[in-house]
Amino acid sequence: MPTPILICDDSAFARKQMIRALPKSWDVEVSQASNGEEALEIIRAGKAEVTFLDLTMPVMDGYETLSIIHSEDLPTMVIVVSGDIQPEAMQRVKKLGAMEFIRKPITSEKAKETLVTYGIVQEGEI
Amino acid sequence: MTSQALDLNEEYRDIYQELVNVAMGRAADLLARLLDTYIILPVPKVNLLARTELAMTLAALDKNDRVSAVCQGFSGDRISGEALLLLTDATFPDLAHLLGSESTGSRGNELELLMDTANVLIGACLKGFAEQIDVEFAQSLPEVLGQHRKVDGLFDQPAIPWEQALAIEVTYRLENKESTFELLLLFTSESIEILNNKINFLLEE
Repeated sequence: MPTPILICDDSAFARKQMIRALPKSWDVEVSQASNGEEALEIIRAGKAEVTFLDLTMPVMDGYETLSIIHSEDLPTMVIVVSGDIQPEAMQRVKKLGAMEFIRKPITSEKAKETLVTYGIVQEGEI
Repeated sequence: MTSQALDLNEEYRDIYQELVNVAMGRAADLLARLLDTYIILPVPKVNLLARTELAMTLAALDKNDRVSAVCQGFSGDRISGEALLLLTDATFPDLAHLLGSESTGSRGNELELLMDTANVLIGACLKGFAEQIDVEFAQSLPEVLGQHRKVDGLFDQPAIPWEQALAIEVTYRLENKESTFELLLLFTSESIEILNNKINFLLEE
């Protein structure tokens, strides 16, 4: 069965870059959101085992989204993918329960490395 | 080139916004480390505008705010433009405080803060932008447009002559402070087609 994943970024271009960076052979069902509110809806519907989350977004930004995921203990693993690479940004998202922080623009090497490190995909699988 | 020839569709606007999102993040990272603080990043604003509209588009600034500004031209690969950095007067005490400097208020010291901030933010943002579209920009020497003056009339003498430009505006804010930094990247209308071609290449990759 495909893994349900969510890509949340206000930029359609960034979402496209993200999808392109994922391992080609990884069997996924991709949902997309352009802000935190949309993302939470998809996560609550159980359609996001893994969430790739941007930080700088209108309506609801990544920090607020993360803190709601954290406080409501929503069932998703969050990987932050952001252009905001300040040390403070990384510390804050880790504190809010993000599993990993990836700096933009994401590369396929980095995506694979992260997915393997956290056991989301097996090395031989992809 | 006439204004009718300039057009920016949603897809390109989105891509410029994202390219600058990444570039401004790198610039903010450098400044944040220097100041040992957190800088709140905005969603960049992308617009086509005429020089006469420039002062108006600086939305975050109050009409009566007094500002100090630096501009710096850049060019490479037939793309050219200018970068502008504007600091409101309220910014200088915050900057001096974060840098642990006592001697605020003197014009010379503020000029140094202005130039240092411009060097970091403009340099890193241009580099970050250029890298993503695989070009290199040469920068001209930075020039002070004015200190402690109103925005009106500040842009009457451009580093590079242009009438219409692709303008990308970033308003940084220092956390827990009133200070804002306005960073503007302005690309001449002649550069837009070349930029769009570079972007098409990114889309095909």
